[in-house]
Amino acid sequence: MSTVIRAALFQTAWTGDKESMIQVHEQAVRDAAAQGAQVLCFQELFYGPYFCQVQDKAFYEYAEAIPDGPIVKRFQALAKEHGIVLVLPMYEEEQPGVLYNTAAVIDADGSYLGKYRKHHIPQVPGFWEKFYFRPGNSGWPIFDTKVGKIGVYICYDRHFPEGWRALGLAGAEIVFNPSATSRGLSAYLWQLEQPAAAAANEYFVGAINRVGVEDLGNNDFYGTTYFVDPEAQFVGEVASDKEPELVVRDLDLAKLREVRDRWQFYRDRRPDAYGPLTAP
Amino acid sequence: MTTSLGTPRTLDALEPALSVRQVLGLERVLAGEPEVVAGASQLDRLVRWVHVAEAADVGVMLTGGEMVLTTGVLLAGDEAAQAEYIQSLHRAEASAVVLGLGRAFPAPPDVMRRAAERCGLPMVVLHRPFPFAELTEEVQSRLVQRKFAAVSLSEAVRTALTGLITGGAPLQSLLDEVAAHSACPVVVTNLAHRVLATAGERSAVDDVLRDWERISRQAGGSEGDGWIRAELGGRGERWGQIMLCGYRGDTATGRLLADRAAEALVLHRMLGGSAHTWEEQSAQSLMTDLASGVVPARQLLPRARAAGLPVNRRTFVPMVVRDGDTAQLDRVLRLLGLPGLVAELADGVTAVLLSLPRDQDADALAAHFASRLRTESGALKAVVAAAGQRTVWDDVPAGLREAQHVADAVADSSDALELPAVVRLKDVHLRGLIRLLRDDPQVQSFAERELDGLLCAADEDLLAVLRTYLATGRNKSRTAQLHHVSRPALYRRLEAIEGRLGVDLDDFEQAASVHIALLAHDAQQG
Repeated sequence: MSTVIRAALFQTAWTGDKESMIQVHEQAVRDAAAQGAQVLCFQELFYGPYFCQVQDKAFYEYAEAIPDGPIVKRFQALAKEHGIVLVLPMYEEEQPGVLYNTAAVIDADGSYLGKYRKHHIPQVPGFWEKFYFRPGNSGWPIFDTKVGKIGVYICYDRHFPEGWRALGLAGAEIVFNPSATSRGLSAYLWQLEQPAAAAANEYFVGAINRVGVEDLGNNDFYGTTYFVDPEAQFVGEVASDKEPELVVRDLDLAKLREVRDRWQFYRDRRPDAYGPLTAP
Repeated sequence: MTTSLGTPRTLDALEPALSVRQVLGLERVLAGEPEVVAGASQLDRLVRWVHVAEAADVGVMLTGGEMVLTTGVLLAGDEAAQAEYIQSLHRAEASAVVLGLGRAFPAPPDVMRRAAERCGLPMVVLHRPFPFAELTEEVQSRLVQRKFAAVSLSEAVRTALTGLITGGAPLQSLLDEVAAHSACPVVVTNLAHRVLATAGERSAVDDVLRDWERISRQAGGSEGDGWIRAELGGRGERWGQIMLCGYRGDTATGRLLADRAAEALVLHRMLGGSAHTWEEQSAQSLMTDLASGVVPARQLLPRARAAGLPVNRRTFVPMVVRDGDTAQLDRVLRLLGLPGLVAELADGVTAVLLSLPRDQDADALAAHFASRLRTESGALKAVVAAAGQRTVWDDVPAGLREAQHVADAVADSSDALELPAVVRLKDVHLRGLIRLLRDDPQVQSFAERELDGLLCAADEDLLAVLRTYLATGRNKSRTAQLHHVSRPALYRRLEAIEGRLGVDLDDFEQAASVHIALLAHDAQQG
């Protein structure tokens, strides 16, 4: 049986309003499905601007319930229609005043599999996220989808190796890292950290970043979305740093076993000696 | 035991220098019978200058990188001073100390030797009396020569490149100049590691490109010795790299060349010497070579691969879009996630080459592309001409020519024709045939004979009406609509046409004859 899956990532620019932004992403689902993609992940807070450039409670309105809100329902129907697994990075409202930076995962039959809530919340100029989000508290879930075991690690999370490892230990085969990150700040890390995480944890990583400069600030989101394999090799080209782009790539999941048979990182790690890492 | 300082002291890469080892190997120095008595592992340190000093506190006079020559006359008999002397040289980051044996020290002094070994400072003794002036003269003149050579090379390269830029030379000329100096392949890439341009000996460049997929996919980007990179960027934005691939000279010179080249390329790009981006120029050069057939397709494989086009086990769909905007076409490809190349082949003629995995429905995706192009560009009539899909790379040039032929065949009447979103050879019928025969003298004279009445007193309006009328299958209301005229006005024009040509357009054979003549006429003009 073939172990190759066709996976997709979508980077795009803020259109100016929520509804057209959702429509752009619905079209991306159709475009990806037209090429036989079996799984697709969007960028962080996909249907909004990156509002964390400012601290304005008006943007709380972008939050909605997961999975009972309208956007998840809308994309569940689309996932079912096209038989595609979807990872939807969204703004979640658990109850009024309790908000998270979350990704919902929908299986290829449209069923809701669960959500991951971003653990690490930055608070620096241009990224005022503590104003909007509580830190994630839902652990390190892995979603057993039709195409494989999927983990999600959102944006700023990527700077912390511990979460990558937790997802690996839980059995992730692909970890998606939806992001919104700015050229001046992180460009030197963008092609370093996720490939390093893929190599260290021996799984595939899909890294997505939005594009363009939005009205709310000066952040220059530089796209360059990509897949990287367990040997830290890019799968195909890295996407444009300025234009919207759908990245569709074939990933051979057999590579996980091949690399893990070569390097026994999971066997040789020493959790008994890592106590200081979890000391408060 | 030798204590190591770690890596050899490195001076500014552009600063000319000899290593301690090189200095000791000079013929005139060998005459002094030099012997390394400490710090033997540090002989690759660079010597920036040679300094003769007898002062005990010589360290305060140094700025680093000096080889200090001494007879030790002020140190004899004072072991504490000897140890401190070595320490002060070490603190000042001197490259080495050379002690002339003789009156002060008949043999290498142990205290100094041990101190030098501990701090990893190369210590050399000269067994034969040797005039220091000869050594300084020899080394200084060589250092000055090297410095002059570096400055001279830097200036020569900069002058040549600046001259090319101010003369409006294309990117390729700049790279050819750099390659002439570096004598190795030179590659320019964008941030996606796509090769935008190359220079150097063709076979060597092809060797590099053949392995490009592996090289470019190394996230860390280390390729070993002789690979010298310089970043391209400006105004706080990085947009690519220039690489000397397998440079065989010394690293400092290679670095100098790469830096001068990078400066020139940034300047060239900022001055905007061309209406096209480097990505566009690169794709254009590849696609033009491919379509022309001048270079066998097989030889273009490394370039295609390096330009980011997947070529293994793929289905290729050669397409041509008339009056398409290259940037717009590229945007649509990206939006759909379709791998492909876009390039302007001629004025208003843009080629799009899709490269799809073999399990995909190539026709459906070509149609998907055409329909999205219409939506995105707002040009509801954008005509996408496609050749049949090719599964062998060698067949791609013929496919591009077929697509161009189809695009040309419908170019004049695309409004009047009911064309599918993707036009193929089977859709162009007679137009396609006439297009192929357009250079035949008999066809040319036939066209002139048939259309003489309209061509002798050229009336573009009547010719246009005739073209639409025939293209719509003699549909009068559609023709009137397309020309924004009333039906009576159209009738008057048709009568005028019939009068000038001396034909009855209601007669099928006469109308067909005029139609063929007009197609031939248009094909000759196109």
